[in-house]
Parts: sequence; structure tokens; C-alpha cells
Amino acid sequence: MAEYAFRKINIDALEEDVLLPSDLYDPDPRGPDGVLSDAQAKSTEVRNLISRGDIPGALNAILTDPPYGEGVDEAKNLTKNALLLILNSTRASEIPAILKSLGQEQQDHLMAYIYKGMAAIGQGSDVTGSVLLNWHSQLTEVAGVGCIVRVMTDRRTL
Amino acid sequence: MSNTLRPYLNAVRATLTAALTLENFSSQVVERHNKPEVEVQTSPEALLKPLIVSRNESERVLIEPSVNAIRLSISIKQADEIEKILCHKFTRFMMMRAEGFVILRRKPIPGYDISFLITNFHSESMLKHKLVDFIIQFMEDVDKEISEMKLSLNARARIVAESYLSTVSAFSTREYDYNLANLTNLARVRKPRLDVISGHSKLG
Repeated sequence: MAEYAFRKINIDALEEDVLLPSDLYDPDPRGPDGVLSDAQAKSTEVRNLISRGDIPGALNAILTDPPYGEGVDEAKNLTKNALLLILNSTRASEIPAILKSLGQEQQDHLMAYIYKGMAAIGQGSDVTGSVLLNWHSQLTEVAGVGCIVRVMTDRRTL
Repeated sequence: MSNTLRPYLNAVRATLTAALTLENFSSQVVERHNKPEVEVQTSPEALLKPLIVSRNESERVLIEPSVNAIRLSISIKQADEIEKILCHKFTRFMMMRAEGFVILRRKPIPGYDISFLITNFHSESMLKHKLVDFIIQFMEDVDKEISEMKLSLNARARIVAESYLSTVSAFSTREYDYNLANLTNLARVRKPRLDVISGHSKLG
């Protein structure tokens, strides 16, 4: 049997003008270290705000300039955990008012984090599906299906 | 139970509605071909972010959108061995007849039980909201179907056991014990009806 493994090489990937997923968006201007320190500062701020009961403020803080792109996994994890903490500690009756106070971009980011939280349910996350599903339905009511479309088409993975 | 099923299905419905915005798109790699981009995965710019909607660890839906096709994979709840077997048989039955279902994929994505592939040709020839309704209806029915099959399987096993025992009850005790041992293996009786067994052994 002749050697045929070379047929499986993706030669397009070796070309000079190959398009990589990271070429599809602009990198974060803060750089990986700046993003990480920002995320740490924000997650402590969020904890303080939650203990004072200021859920809208906490959500507002965590959803502005969230970390995105490659190489910032730690910052992403910090932000995700802080956000899931907020979602968990909110009373269901307060959700619609909180959602209406957010800007469009923040709503999109929140939707992205809700999907991220649901994807992590099997892997030892402490949020239950019903909490996330409740947030999802309320957010869809406020922001519409367009919000989900913007999450899907956004190349900056949160 | 159904109070979390409803939000789950609503989330799937919203996500699916958002994802079903497809258009004709020829392959950028092979000339004069038209392939579902989500299947070939050759051009990253034509793929969108895959989304997961999940209710708990065992029940989730993966939606992978792309420019001209979406792939939707469902993980069905399987509480025990019997449900696992039933689910496998049921999905296999349908996937072997995938042509009849038009949008059904012949193989599920690894980690999921059943997958659908909806291309732009499907969404052009069929109504979008009907497609969404079909998927949601399917998800509702498949749980119901499997739990019904499980119930009827257990009921059947019980009837088999009872009728078998009523014939062997005339045998001697030693033969009877032997048959009982075989029977429990055969009929998958989950809870042997002790009242029936002890009643017959007194008769024998």
C-alpha cells in the first residue's frame, strides 16, 4: 500500500493568504495582561456591589468591555463566574426591570454569557438550567431574536 | 416537571428562529459545488458561533449555524439502561429512514443522540415557522414516546412473567426454582411480584 497520508494534508492552510479565525476581529487594545487585571478588578467590584444589593450596577459593570479573543482564558473565567454569581443571586421578579436598564451591547453580551453558562452546565458549574432559561426567556422578550443573531454573528468569543 | 420543559423549548425555539436565516452559498473551495458549510467546515468566515441550550446535564441542544445550513443536535434524557436502549433503537429507526424525514441527518454528532441538518434549500421549499414547530414538536414527542415505551415494556414483562409462572406453578418445587431463575433473566422483571410467586409456590 503506497503512502497516501499526504492526501489528507490541508494544503490551503499552508498558503500565505489563509484566513484564520483570529483575523476576523480586531484584537483587544488592552492586551492580555491589561484584560486580566481589568477582569480581576471588576470581579471584586461585582462582589462588593452584590453584597450591597446593587444588582443592576453589578451587571452593568461586568458587561462593559468583557474580555474576548484568544489567550485570555483566566480573565474569561473570572468574568463568567462573576456574572453567573449575579444571575444566581437575582430575584426573578426583578429581572425585567434590570434588563430594560441595560444598553443594547450589554444585552448582547449578557445573552452570550447565558449561552456560555448553559454550555457549561454538564461540566461542574453551580448554576441550574432553570435559572439560565428564565433569564434567557426574559431577555428574549426584552431584546428580541435579533439579540441572539448578534451573539451568533459576533466573532469576538466572550 | 413540565414547568422547566416549557422555558427550555422556548429557548430552543428562539435560538432556532434566530439561526434559520439561510441563503444560497456556493463552496469557496470546490468550483461549482454547493455544500452545507457547517458540514465541510472549510471556510471559517462562513461559520457562526455554535450555541448550546441545556436544561440539565443530560438534556441539551446544540445549534451550529452557518451561512447556508444549520445543524441541530439533540441529547435526549436517558435515566437508566432501558431508556438508553429504547432511545438508541428509536433514533436508529428514524435515522435509517432519514430520506423520509428530509431534514434528518443520517448520523448524530458525537455526544448527541440525533441530529438535523437544515440547508437553505429546505428553508426555501418549506415554511420557516413550520420547520421550527416540527423540531419543537419532535422534542416534545420523543420524551413522551420513550417513557410510554418504557411503561409498556415493563407491563409486558410483568404479563409474560405472570402467564409463565401460572404454567410452571404445577411443576415440582425444584423445577420451579430453576425456571424462576431463568425467567428473571429472560423477562427483565424489574420488581418480581413476590405475592404472585409465593402464592404459586404454596400451591405447588
